[in-house]
Amino acid sequence: MAKAVVELRTCTRDFGGVRAVDAMDLAILEGEFLSLLGPSGCGKTTTLNLIAGFVEPTAGRILIDGEDVTGLPAHRRGLGVVFQSYALFPHLSVFENVAFGLRERRVPAAEIERRVAEALALVRLDRLGRQKPAELSGGMQQRVALARALVYRPRVLLLDEPLAALDKKLREEMRDELRAIQRSVGITTVFVTHDQAEALGLSDRIAVMSRGRIEQLGTPRDVYERPATRFVADFIGASTILRGRAIGADLVALSPGLTIKVSAVGALAMGRDVELAIRPERVHLAAAPGTGTAAARIEGIVYQGALTEVTARLGDGQQVRAFVTEPAPLPLAPGQTVHLSLPADAFMVLA
Amino acid sequence: MKLLLAPALAVIALFAVALGCLLQYSVLEFVPGSLQTGGFTLENFRTVTTPQYLGVIWDTVWLSAATTVLTLVASYPVAYMLARTGSARVRSTLLVLTLAPFFTGAIVRTYAWILVLGNAVITWPIPMLFTERGVLVGLVHFSMPTMILMLAAGISHIDPVYERAAASLGARPARVFWRVTLPLSAPGIVSGSLIVFAWTLSAYPTPALLGGGKVQMIATVVKDRGLDSFNWPGAAAFALLALVMTIALLAGVGRAGARTA
Amino acid sequence: MLKAAVTALVAFMTLPTVVVIVVSFNPTAILSFPPSGFSFRWYENALTYPQFQRAALNSLWVTLGAVAVALPVGTAAALALERGKLRLPTLWATLLLSPLVVPGVAAGLGFLILAASLGMIRSRAVLIAAHVALVLPFVVRSVWVSVRNLDAALERAAASLGATPWRVFRRVTLPLLRPGLFAALLFAVVVSVNEFVVSLFVSNRVTEILPVAMYSYVVNYTDPTIAAMSTLFITATFAVIWLADRFTGLGRVFLHHR
Repeated sequence: MAKAVVELRTCTRDFGGVRAVDAMDLAILEGEFLSLLGPSGCGKTTTLNLIAGFVEPTAGRILIDGEDVTGLPAHRRGLGVVFQSYALFPHLSVFENVAFGLRERRVPAAEIERRVAEALALVRLDRLGRQKPAELSGGMQQRVALARALVYRPRVLLLDEPLAALDKKLREEMRDELRAIQRSVGITTVFVTHDQAEALGLSDRIAVMSRGRIEQLGTPRDVYERPATRFVADFIGASTILRGRAIGADLVALSPGLTIKVSAVGALAMGRDVELAIRPERVHLAAAPGTGTAAARIEGIVYQGALTEVTARLGDGQQVRAFVTEPAPLPLAPGQTVHLSLPADAFMVLA
Repeated sequence: MKLLLAPALAVIALFAVALGCLLQYSVLEFVPGSLQTGGFTLENFRTVTTPQYLGVIWDTVWLSAATTVLTLVASYPVAYMLARTGSARVRSTLLVLTLAPFFTGAIVRTYAWILVLGNAVITWPIPMLFTERGVLVGLVHFSMPTMILMLAAGISHIDPVYERAAASLGARPARVFWRVTLPLSAPGIVSGSLIVFAWTLSAYPTPALLGGGKVQMIATVVKDRGLDSFNWPGAAAFALLALVMTIALLAGVGRAGARTA
Repeated sequence: MLKAAVTALVAFMTLPTVVVIVVSFNPTAILSFPPSGFSFRWYENALTYPQFQRAALNSLWVTLGAVAVALPVGTAAALALERGKLRLPTLWATLLLSPLVVPGVAAGLGFLILAASLGMIRSRAVLIAAHVALVLPFVVRSVWVSVRNLDAALERAAASLGATPWRVFRRVTLPLLRPGLFAALLFAVVVSVNEFVVSLFVSNRVTEILPVAMYSYVVNYTDPTIAAMSTLFITATFAVIWLADRFTGLGRVFLHHR
């Protein structure tokens, strides 16, 4: 059973009248890469700041390695932080920046030399010690920030949207490198981001957050394929939400005459109203009506290159989104009636 | 549009002419007992280099340096709070209290110190009024608003994230200040110090009133010789000296500012 | 701990002011602390002293004159610096700000000699001219900040809607410059009213302005009349600064906001 390195117990943080973090319970396991994912304002950065010690919780406790650090100031927590703007000291060289934490820990000079060189090699910036941060590109600065946070082997690594300032290509490169470094060092990592692709690609577990609370905590696959709430289904990937009533253990009637089969979830409670979610990439265009299809009228067609986004309305007025991969099986035009294939196992039952 | 600059330049030209008169008189011979002047001479500058007057110059430089250092130490905490406080009310209060002395004029501020240093409030164990100590206190008090504003401007430009980063790396607050905040506020410190030093070199009312004639600075010499003895050439030489020293120092500010831009 | 230090330092900065105000109400000429009573006699003395009255009038004329000249001249210069596409804007800016750099005794003596050479020793004109030169840098600086923040697109929009350059200036530019102009006026008045060193050189007993008259008094007499005068000055100044901060947020002029 993996040990919890960081624990938040019923942590709340208020700013004036606003509750940024709401009675949050979270246990971060040793060696894992955990992402805090959510839209801006969801409280993910505040959660990070609580762990780091930059803000104190209004209520609740924070534990690191089993030790209560709630009142402990940031400089005594022994963590490594990478800031969104990198915060490299402009008046110090790259070497001095990376050595900063070591100097604070009174490490002897010879060892500082060795360990800084090691850290810079880890992030592949071996020969830039004497330069000033201002002379480096964004990607290089980010790596220096990472080296600086890792060189003194902190218990936990905290990253606050570190890739946000980079352009797309660089972001993807750094994402892979970051994961590789984290795996090789094996350090427990908390990663804050609003970019779901990043979170899905990097994490062992994701905490999807909204309005100060964790909506769902699980592996990327859990979160994507079995969203627990409507918010998660909406935020991660795209979803169509359909409403209906359960008329059988695995049957849902969207409207009289429009029934769909739903499997891969537990038996439904009879007579209850249900909300179903289905990902657009699982909705196909069938050549002809058959089992598991429903007729719909095309309303919108948006060409996106690799796929075409089609919105269509079912007989009962509910809208469905479908991603049709090119080449389209049939010629499409607005107003046309098509048959959407809705595989039973593609549905996720919400609330 | 460019012509709009002309009237302002005319004013500056007039100012320059006044300074030109200064230059002119500094090389003319003083005729005692009248405002007439003799011919070209460098005597006035030679007087500047006599031991008596060199002493005055040295005293002025020393006093200005002491003022600058003390003002810096006294101003930094206030400037830091002014720049970093989250409370708008605190900032407003500090700003008003800092700016107000600027606008109450030299006489009012110096008179206040005549009262305080002159045993009107408390009796001092050692004499304060009409001594160098007293003048120093008055000068520091006079310079603090300027220094506070220049330091605060510099500190407010330092992104607070650097202080957070240093804390996250294990530096306790005193170390954060020493290793990060202080170095990053260096431009403000340098420009504030140079300006205070330059202005103090030519300070008049404070040494005149608080020194009571016993503390001589360059500016008091200019006034004594110029207005009391009518030795305009002699006074001009000293005034020119003050001018040259000030310009040299402030040119230094300009370069320090440019280097850190 | 920072708070304690700052409180002590702020107390140091304001202590003299407090003392002056307290002393101004002292009933006797011999100063004692705590004061032995409460009296307005020094205020009466200050307000009825003929030399102060004359000097106050002089201050009024000199400041009015200086501001009346410096405001338009400085505003024009600020506009020219920002919009005039000058080849060496920093050079011109430095020139315009140069009076700030010159020691008061140097400028004062220089203007005195100039006045004498022109045979104008008794004239107020030289005094006003000197004030204009001393006040100009403050005006230019304040207005320039406002001009810099003025979006040229607004003036172009007005022009595209049919306004002549003069109308654009009156209806768009000038109103938008108001904060800068207000700050400029404030600085100009305060600097001129309090100007001492240069005025000491350039004026005589007839033309001298209030700070100089106060100086002469302090050198000769030790009663609290000056304390009363100072308190009046201080009250007026605080009121003006507080108002200015309320309406224009002085913090923005000096500090960088996040």
